[in-house]
Amino acid sequence: MHSKDVPEMLNFLSLKDIGDLFSDIPPDVRVDGINIPAGISEEKLLDEASAIASLNRLPSISFLGKGAYRRFIPSVVDHVSSIPQFQTAYTPYQAEISQGMLQALFEYQSVISDLTGMDMTNSSMYDGPTAAGEAARMAYRCSEGDTFLVPDIIDRNVLSVIQNYLHGLPVKITSYMVDRKTGKIDLADLASKVDRNVFGIFAGIPNALGILDDNVFRIQEIKGNAMLVTYYDPISLGAVKPPGEYGTDIAVAEGQQLGIHLAMGGPYLGLFSFRKEYVRKSPGRLIGKTTDSDGNPAYVMTLQTREQHIRRDRAMSNICTNQALMAISALSYLSAMGSKGLRSVSAATLKNSRKLIDALEKTGAGKYPFNAIPFSDVLFKMHLSSSDLAARLGESGISGGIPARDLITFPEEGYHFFSVTELTGDEEIEALAHALGGATR
Amino acid sequence: MSFHQARYPERLVKEYSSDNSSFIEYTEIPEWFPDSMRRGSLNLPQIAEYDVVRHFTRLSEMNYSVDTGVYPLGSCTMKFNPKYADRIASIQEFSEVHPLSGEDNMQGSLRIMYELQEMLKSISQMDEVSLQPPAGAQGEFTGIMIIRKFFEVNGEGSIRNEILIPDSAHGTNPASSAMGGFKTVEIPSNGDGMVDLGALESALSERTAALMITNPNTLGIFDSQISEIARMVHSAGGFLYYDGANFNAILGKTAPGKMGFDITHFNLHKTFATPHGGGGPGAGPVGVVKKLKDFLPVPIVRKNMERYFLDSSLKNTIGKVAGFYGNFGILLRAWAYIRRNGSDGLCEITERAVLNTNYLAGKLSQKYRIPYAKIKKHEVVVSSEGTGKRALDIAKYLLDQGLHPPTIYFPLIVKEALMIEMTETVSREDLDLYAESMLKALEVSESEISEMPRNTAVRRVDEVKAARDQILRW
Repeated sequence: MHSKDVPEMLNFLSLKDIGDLFSDIPPDVRVDGINIPAGISEEKLLDEASAIASLNRLPSISFLGKGAYRRFIPSVVDHVSSIPQFQTAYTPYQAEISQGMLQALFEYQSVISDLTGMDMTNSSMYDGPTAAGEAARMAYRCSEGDTFLVPDIIDRNVLSVIQNYLHGLPVKITSYMVDRKTGKIDLADLASKVDRNVFGIFAGIPNALGILDDNVFRIQEIKGNAMLVTYYDPISLGAVKPPGEYGTDIAVAEGQQLGIHLAMGGPYLGLFSFRKEYVRKSPGRLIGKTTDSDGNPAYVMTLQTREQHIRRDRAMSNICTNQALMAISALSYLSAMGSKGLRSVSAATLKNSRKLIDALEKTGAGKYPFNAIPFSDVLFKMHLSSSDLAARLGESGISGGIPARDLITFPEEGYHFFSVTELTGDEEIEALAHALGGATR
Repeated sequence: MSFHQARYPERLVKEYSSDNSSFIEYTEIPEWFPDSMRRGSLNLPQIAEYDVVRHFTRLSEMNYSVDTGVYPLGSCTMKFNPKYADRIASIQEFSEVHPLSGEDNMQGSLRIMYELQEMLKSISQMDEVSLQPPAGAQGEFTGIMIIRKFFEVNGEGSIRNEILIPDSAHGTNPASSAMGGFKTVEIPSNGDGMVDLGALESALSERTAALMITNPNTLGIFDSQISEIARMVHSAGGFLYYDGANFNAILGKTAPGKMGFDITHFNLHKTFATPHGGGGPGAGPVGVVKKLKDFLPVPIVRKNMERYFLDSSLKNTIGKVAGFYGNFGILLRAWAYIRRNGSDGLCEITERAVLNTNYLAGKLSQKYRIPYAKIKKHEVVVSSEGTGKRALDIAKYLLDQGLHPPTIYFPLIVKEALMIEMTETVSREDLDLYAESMLKALEVSESEISEMPRNTAVRRVDEVKAARDQILRW
């Protein structure tokens, strides 16, 4: 708007001053401006932002993971997610003028369904933990009982989010045991806890210890009427049997690894898939394929009667804004990488975690304490004290080695996470081994 | 303005094929990986980079956006998304920081978060802010959980189980309340489109946990009774929750804290111009008064001398409502927007947004009924009732003119509602054109308008068939 238009527009409205537009705000609740600094030019802003950015230090070598991973992102993924007509669009309420976004989200729903072996996928949740929370609520709607079973070793943030999501329901959360030696679910303990009151069972693969727990495949034999909620790693599905093949009812995951930047924790992407018989009880937006009045194929948001803008207090979820643009990133990532690419990423991750175990055990700095196969997150029992470990890593400019008890409900001291991806190089593993070498038992 | 949508018979991404995948080096699954765990077939699309780009470019040309033109969806605040914010968000030292890097390695990001917390406190006049909720509805849910925890701690948890919500409220309000385990009680509007104080008085009781409202409301009306409402809710022992979806109407004019609210959420993707991504991501920070500070999600960013750190020691915290610290990439863009505009700029934004909407309302009032004859704030609801045209038909007519229609059939309390929010980033020429088109829509014959849209990539979409067929994947 040009400032010369202002008086004319006010005149059209028979007003004298722009302040007259606010005459309906009673004097006792008025404020006079905002107590923040005055605006600055774009030039100054960019300088200021660069200066602040430089206060962050990116590690030269990183073994950080546990819910967020540095993976290779093809250049084309960043290109696609920055296309303005996707980036600056709103939720596609007006289908005819939003066919591009709708088709892309339909493709996303399809590709994640294929990846997980599940029937259907919604068009996105905020992140992995909130997807887990929504899954717990959906399990309650789809089954009977008042108990949600979770492993006694679980990520603290995932557990906290699930607790919040379930807090408003007349339910309790009970834990089942993870065997400390194998790092896998104690199936006998789980079986003893499953009864008619259990509406859902939460299981991670990889689990909170980072282990690809094949006991998860056997939950279907003992779950009874409970819904199996599987929390998986989408990259691992390049190598590992997908959730749809072992009786999973709801499959949820953190989708950050599918072409999304680390960005200090967000925006990420919640992947949410389920069996088709439960579609009307599912949360979130769904895109359906239909036809237009000429009979041509068309896409539209569908089954909206489950949603808050229609169903209000009886909606399946309160979600409105989701993570649609991140879903586009994941779709373009999986399309560009293809089956061969994803298998390679998965394979390289498996190889690197094995290499890391070999290297660290060789130095005597730590031991891999489980008879199991980890994926990205490798939990070591370190022979070094926490402070010695931190000092050695600090001196070598290596990030990683976060104490397990900070992140998961596993109180033991001396356990530390080192995580790998396909980008972890042999020289980085050597540098870590070198930094931790010479440790005494 | 007038957008011309492309029309491609664009095939699905899986119908492309290529054997070209050289983004990373090929690696075989190691032979030691057990067969019992191995995946059998995997059928992802396999598409060449040039076709990825062409596929998504063609799809994008069939999609309307703020970069394309005016996008006046009511309560959505679809303002222009300035490009400096994207540039800043793409600085590597921001975009590549791992959330578990440790405080020493992320002082820059923590400073951004701290400054944003402080600026949002000033804007809202709240005492403490959490940036963690990744969307507005999640901000509401966070506020609801804070209220619940507060009453649990003070021993009233089993008694205070009702949230009062006006009938003009956004659908997320009752949905978020129900998710938190509360019963919702609807409060009718009075003849002025404001809260009916008599109805509020009789609904308030020892069971009231909170009243959740937005001011101005979804009719674009500022409820001037707000001080009285606050007094009534507080004397019943409840909290007053501010739905911040309509914040663009009040920047620098009033503030939730000043109006007596105890909790407020912000929609950074609305008021502070972060791109909406075709549905998300957003960010929905929550601010609270002193009494509720200890209940916020953790961690909060604090500053000690010149060092920033994450504080998780809040005594009664509800814990986490998302995986890490919130949608940092969105928080950063909002920080940039607020820094760039500053106190003077933000006040002007509100003035211009309100002027634009009232100007449009003035033009439309020639032919459309505008319920509740008052000054509007950021948005206006007009009704096509009595014009012989349905709101849906008007929307389809606008599509054919290359204009994005308003929100239709909301709020529920106005028949044939068209809810229009003209933000500050619309020129007078575009306002005139939009008004002209909306007025012309009323003159088009019934038979002609029922055939619209004709100029879009597809014609009227069969929603009933979509719900019946449930084709949600290929």
